[in-house]
Amino acid sequence: MVIHYKCPNCGSDMVFDSESGMLSCGSCGRKDNIDSFPKENIKTTFGKNDAKEYHCKNCGAMLITHKETTATNCSFCGAGVVLLDRLSGDLAPSKVIPFTINKDKAMKTFRTWCKNGLLTPKGFMTADRVKGITGMYVPFWLYDLNSKVEVNAICTKVRTYTKGEYIYTETSYYDVYRNINIDYIKVPIDASEKMDDKLMDKLEPFNYGELKDFNTPYLAGYIAEKYNYNHQELLPRAASKIERYIESFIGSTISGYTMVNYNRKDIDTNKKQAYYTLLPIWMVYYDYKGSEYIFAMNGQTGKVVGKPPISQGKVAAWFGGISVGIFIGLKLISLLMGGGLY
Amino acid sequence: MKYKIYLKWILSLVIIFTVVSSVALGELSPKERIYDFANLLTKEEKMELENIANKYSSKRETDLIILTISDSMGKDIIDYTEDFYDEKGLGYDKSHGNTAILTIDMKNGDIYLAGYHKAEKYLDDYRLDIIRDKIAPDLSKGNYYDAFYSFIKTSYKYMGIRPGVNPENILFKFWFQVMVSLGIAGIAVGIMTYNTGGRTTVNAGTYQDHTNSKIISRRDTYLRTDVTKRKKPSNNNNSGGGNSRGGSSGGVSRGGHSHSGSRGKF
Repeated sequence: MVIHYKCPNCGSDMVFDSESGMLSCGSCGRKDNIDSFPKENIKTTFGKNDAKEYHCKNCGAMLITHKETTATNCSFCGAGVVLLDRLSGDLAPSKVIPFTINKDKAMKTFRTWCKNGLLTPKGFMTADRVKGITGMYVPFWLYDLNSKVEVNAICTKVRTYTKGEYIYTETSYYDVYRNINIDYIKVPIDASEKMDDKLMDKLEPFNYGELKDFNTPYLAGYIAEKYNYNHQELLPRAASKIERYIESFIGSTISGYTMVNYNRKDIDTNKKQAYYTLLPIWMVYYDYKGSEYIFAMNGQTGKVVGKPPISQGKVAAWFGGISVGIFIGLKLISLLMGGGLY
Repeated sequence: MKYKIYLKWILSLVIIFTVVSSVALGELSPKERIYDFANLLTKEEKMELENIANKYSSKRETDLIILTISDSMGKDIIDYTEDFYDEKGLGYDKSHGNTAILTIDMKNGDIYLAGYHKAEKYLDDYRLDIIRDKIAPDLSKGNYYDAFYSFIKTSYKYMGIRPGVNPENILFKFWFQVMVSLGIAGIAVGIMTYNTGGRTTVNAGTYQDHTNSKIISRRDTYLRTDVTKRKKPSNNNNSGGGNSRGGSSGGVSRGGHSHSGSRGKF
């Protein structure tokens, strides 16, 4: 089943416009609110026998898609299409954060980021070899988690004082117990197989103020994918992601002691809710000296992540500059303290 | 036939040149600073030390003198050193001027270091103690050249450091300054490289629900108190390392020249 969004004015294909947050027509400029878009202009067609095969309603060309793709552009006429049967039932996303950065702005943001690289080679900083930039809704699970924590620890307080000829060290022992409840809201875990987990983690945070209930028009004109892992499969990753947060929370509840020795630490993390959510990400493909570099940009905040090439010369220059600077600084300090210059 | 005459000319020129230059050099450093009466050094070593002493003495405008004796003629090493200074009228700037002396008495195994004028100020008793501790092991082992070299080098170094400041402060050490500079630069560049891929900007508070995250119950039960005591360390050991045998002894010579000093054994 394929969806087209047809402009009520001129009949052209409409796409989601990240600036206004509405469906917009490229031909006549008409903008429509997503919730009030007239139903009769949503053209849906059902695939005949083979559900894996989709045809563009405009030109009749076959849509070539990966099996994860849920929204794409027709490679012949460019119309934005949404593959509805891949977004229904278990695969229906419950939330979406729409793009707020459009393609031009994404390019501009990427260029600025390249220019600000302290260690990137000069040829890279000009950012003139961008091979492709793709707006993509990446599937995430947002977990609401509850952790019940019980800890036992032996803690000590140490006090030293001098009396007469002796130094006294007084060590007091305490048996400390804490029962803690911690809730975490909407911890994002990327559910796409081909996205690098570390890269996706670094793209955070997303501003959840703009989290919307899912609606297919948001996908028009972008690439979207469905999840490869369900929320049960990814729960361990979510639990391990918040583990160090829990540790620091526990630490903050036990204060005023010199030393803390845990002898029991029970952490029981359970899922309260998991939302299948599509998050907006710009993928930037960059050619530099024959190899391809991939960067990801948060489509909401503009944060760029990904390993750029590193210039050995610049690393050496920074290393030299900093060490000479520090050396001169140390020399000045020693001179001020009365030391010799040579 | 012809080139034989040339050869003669060249040979004689070379000879003249060497003679003149050696005379000239001799005139440039007429001062003797190494008085090796106990014959501890070879001729080459003595020459070498003279050159080094000449170089560093002029940099600090203070004569760095080495005196070795095999027989003190019944005199104490301090008296001997003072008298030597008074009689010779040592000094870089004037007679009885800026001088640092290292005296070795081979018969009694005594070391004495003294500083006059500028050296009295810059090489005070404490600093001379440090130098003595530094060179005593070499003297015991018979590495006289090394010990004397170390005396000249260290005295020179300490005279560049303001009086009253601990000259062995680690901040003044060249190797320390280099290590710290390279270390910090390495760490800084490492962090920069690490962060090129983008930094993690979420923390423990980002996803925490602050209204529902709380301590349900807590207990801090006092168990017991252990008390240990130890004796206060006495703080009257201000003379350098464990090698120090002897102590500081500055004074005034019979000729009326005051000086700093440090005496000891090796």
